[in-house]
This record gives sequence, structure tokens and C-alpha cells, in this order.
Amino acid sequence: MTDLAGAGSPPHDVDGRLAAKDGDKTAKFVPGQPDMWAFVLFETLIFTGYFSVYLFQRAQHPESFLHAQNQLDLRIGVVNTIVLLASSWSVARCVEAARAGAFRQASRNAFLTVVFALVFLASKVCEWVLQIHRGNGITSSEFFTYYFFLTGIHFLHLLIGFVVLGVVIYQLRSPARRSQNLIETGATYWHTVDFLWVLIFALLYVVR
Amino acid sequence: MQTTFSKRLLVVWLVLVSLTLAYLWIDHTVDHHGSPSPSAVVTSSVILIAVIKVRIIFREFMEVRRAPALLCRLTDAWLVIIAVSLLGSYLVGVATS
Amino acid sequence: MSAAATHTVTPLTRPGGSPFHRIGWHCRHNPKRELWLAWWTTVVFYQLFFVVFFVITRTQPPPNPGWDTPRVVQWFHNHHNGLLIGFAIMFVITGMTAASNALIAYSMRRMSVSPAFGYSYLVLYSLSAVPGMLLLCLVLTVGALRPDRDPELIQWLYDFAFLSFSGTMGVFLIGSLVWMAAILIDKHGVLPKWFGYLNLCNALTEVVVAPAWIFHRGVFAWNGLICWWINMVVFGIYTGAFIVLLRQMIQREDFGTGPLPDLATTKELDRSGDAAVAR
Repeated sequence: MTDLAGAGSPPHDVDGRLAAKDGDKTAKFVPGQPDMWAFVLFETLIFTGYFSVYLFQRAQHPESFLHAQNQLDLRIGVVNTIVLLASSWSVARCVEAARAGAFRQASRNAFLTVVFALVFLASKVCEWVLQIHRGNGITSSEFFTYYFFLTGIHFLHLLIGFVVLGVVIYQLRSPARRSQNLIETGATYWHTVDFLWVLIFALLYVVR
Repeated sequence: MQTTFSKRLLVVWLVLVSLTLAYLWIDHTVDHHGSPSPSAVVTSSVILIAVIKVRIIFREFMEVRRAPALLCRLTDAWLVIIAVSLLGSYLVGVATS
Repeated sequence: MSAAATHTVTPLTRPGGSPFHRIGWHCRHNPKRELWLAWWTTVVFYQLFFVVFFVITRTQPPPNPGWDTPRVVQWFHNHHNGLLIGFAIMFVITGMTAASNALIAYSMRRMSVSPAFGYSYLVLYSLSAVPGMLLLCLVLTVGALRPDRDPELIQWLYDFAFLSFSGTMGVFLIGSLVWMAAILIDKHGVLPKWFGYLNLCNALTEVVVAPAWIFHRGVFAWNGLICWWINMVVFGIYTGAFIVLLRQMIQREDFGTGPLPDLATTKELDRSGDAAVAR
């Protein structure tokens, strides 16, 4: 995912930016590659498709879905969401720091994001194991099929997020490689992991 | 300058966390009979709150607020699509069950 | 032409005249004729693929995995001629996939990345066609060949065919990721980054198919809303995108070793007749 390191942008890079200086706050810019935004919007549509199917099925069998949903602990979901929101915060701080040239701080924030992500990952795996031990597997009820499917596909995006954060950290570590554009692109992806979880959490844990 | 920005991000995070905690409150007040029951009102409001949270993430964390008008309009349009699809499929499901 | 050219090149001027004359001229003189042949082969293949699977054999959209044995036998009976004729066509045209894979591998060779990407893609996708497409064709043909076979065997063939077709989408997964990695690392701008990310979408939808191995009915079955319909939409968009992008790549191709010129520049050079880059 390396960019042409600062030497000039590829012809199709629409709003390619160099690291902004302090006066540039009013300038309008697209954070990261527009290509990543295209991906984000497209993935969001696909997930919305999955969510819509789930909600329709849920509305058709409200009692059985509700009964199965009772097995989930809302508090775990809330903690998961807060942790992932914190990871979004730290990656946003990372972008901000990198933009201001404070690369060590940016690195720290990137590592913090990874830590939050690992906490989420561990929590998710524990929750799955707990549910399976209780007898709620992917085939035990329609609700749990959707539960494992949606959290599973989100988990996959989370794992990809680790690779993306790895790229961001790799960029931050060496002055020769730093590309603000790439760091912002990685952050955009990470925020997507976050907001998809916000929707999944609402639909699986809270919705009645 | 850096401190002002980081405060903003922190405030945004706190707002998002409180919206998340609001779910706990909804969950608590709705289940006052002891056993939960399906509710279109709760579901719809939960979905709308989630969409609002996503909008905050778009505008603040993902910096759409400072992006060209096209991206602002695109993300807002996407939020409308999400809200309409989710609420629509749920309400159609309720109506046809 | 490439910057390293040391011989003088007389610009090629495209002839006018009848379509046949022009096509003949392109076949003999166009330096990109092999690329165009591969591209047209790909386009024709996908059209035929669509007609064979969706119209002649009607195996896509897939039938229901939840049917009982008599119903499955009924399905074979209804589709008997379509299956035999359609898949006979399929076996003849399968070789066309080689052109498609070659063109995609070529795009990776033109990139600034290691040739290993192109070669591994070629190997992966060539092998993928066996479980990913040919098995279904073979097995359903076997099923249709002798309609008076034991119904249990026919049900077995039915399950085998559709599971191998839909359920093995994962074999395409690694190939997609290879192409994605090549595109994202590439410095020659051969294909846009958004298409690299679209490869990731395609790869992820291949993972989404996995529940089809577990569920016989509902949205996660091999004909389900999530495992088939939404997946097909993504796959259709992906295929359409790469066909268009490969066409643009060929138009932009300058046979050099540096970044590929963008389409606007190529078209301008074309129009002014300065370059020997013939379309």
C-alpha cells in the first residue's frame, strides 16, 4: 500500500495533500485516498444489505429473536463499543499528531489504537466461547446465526484493520516513508471498523 | 493549536460514549415488567441513535466536516440510505408478519 | 513508444474504409493485437458464461438446497436438455478463461511489483476453475445423462455440484488478495487503487459464502439472499469494473517500463497522430 513517496501524486489522485502546516485549517481536503472512501461507502452498502435482511427476519419472528437475544449481555456490548470508540479517538489523534509533525506522539497513538483493538478482539473471542459453552452456536437459533455471522464478518474487518494499522505504524517509524495521505487512508479504514460495530451493536444487542 | 484539537476529539468521544450508555438506560426502562417484549418504537429509536452516532464519527473522527461539499453530501446521503433501509426493512417485516 | 526505443518509428496511421478492412489491418499491424484479443476473449467468455448458466441451463440462480429427493429428480428432468446442451458449450469454451487470467496476470507484470504476483495469480486462478466452475458442469451433466438413475444418487450429485460451485468460492479468495496487494503496492498506476480495494470486497464476499455449507434453507443457503444474491451483485460489479479497467489499461499501454500514461494523455497523443501508439 505504499504511495509514491512524496515525489508527486499518481495522475488519478484527486485531492492528494502534503502534510499540512498550521495555517491550513480552513482548507477543504479529502482525508486519505478518495479510493479508500469509495471502498468504505461500498462496504457500508453491503453491510446495510445484511442488516436489512436481519431486521426483516427479526420483525417476522420477534419472540424467538428476543428470547435468544436475552442470552447476550448488553453490558459486554457497551464496553466493546466504548473500547472501539476509544480506538477511533486514538487513531484520530494519531492523524492529528502526524499532521502537526509530532511523529513520536503519532506513533504512540497508533500503538494505543492497536491495544484497544486487541482488547476488543479478546473480549469478542471470550464472548463467543461463552455463548458456545452455553449451547448457543451458529445453528442453535436464527438469532444466533445472525449474531455469529455479523460479529464474524466484522471480526474479519478488524483483523484486516490490524494489517492497516501495521502499515500506518510502518509509515510513522521512518522519516523517509511518512505519507500523511497513507496515514489518513489507514485511519479512514479504521473508523469504518468502528462505525460498522456501532451499527452491529445497536442491531444485535439493543434493538427489541 | 494541538491541545484545542485534541480536546475536541475527546469531547466527541465522550458524546459518543454517553449515547452508547443511553442504550443501557433504554434497556433498563423498557424492561420494567421483567421480561422484554418486541417494540417497534424502541427499535426505531435505537436505530436512529445509531445512525446519529455514525454521523458524528463521519463528521468528527473521519474529518468529513472539513471535507469538500461532495464528500459531506455523499456521507449524509449514505446515512439516509442506511436509515431508510434499516427502518424500512424492519417496518415492512413487522407489517407482513 | 517506449523511451528506450533507439530505432526510428514510423507512426502507424489507422486506415479508413470498411470494417473488415480495418479489422484486418488491426490484426496485422496493431502492436497491441494480442492484448485486444485477450480482452475480447474475456468479454465474449463472460457473455457466454451468463447465457449458459442463467438462460440455457438455468443453474443460476441456484435451485433450493432444501428440496427433497423427488423434487430434485423433478428439477433434473425439467432441466435435462438445457443441462446437456449448455454444459457441452461450457466445456468447449472453458479454455477462454486462460485469456482472461493471462490479461490480468499481464496487468501485474506491467506493474512495478515482483513478477511473482502475476505468476501466482495465474496458477491460483487456473486451478480455481476446477472446483469453482468445472465440477458443477461435469457433475450436473453426469446427473442429466441418465435420468433413470437411483434418486438418492441424483440428490447426491445435486448437492455435490452446487456445494462445489458456491461453497468453494474461497479458492478465488487468495487470487483476489494477490491482485489487490499488487495494485496497492504498484507505483506505475496500472490500475486505480479503488479497484484494489474492490478486490478486497470481492474476497470478503467469498468468505461470506461459507455458511452455505451449513444451512439448507434461508438466507445463508447456497441460493440465499446473503450467500448468493448480495454476493452476485458484488461479483457482477467487480467483473464489470475489471473488464472496463483492463480495456483502459490496454488503451494506455505504452510498452514501457515506467508509469503508465493516463487515458487523457493517451487519447490526445492518438488524436494528434504523434505517437505510434495505435489503438
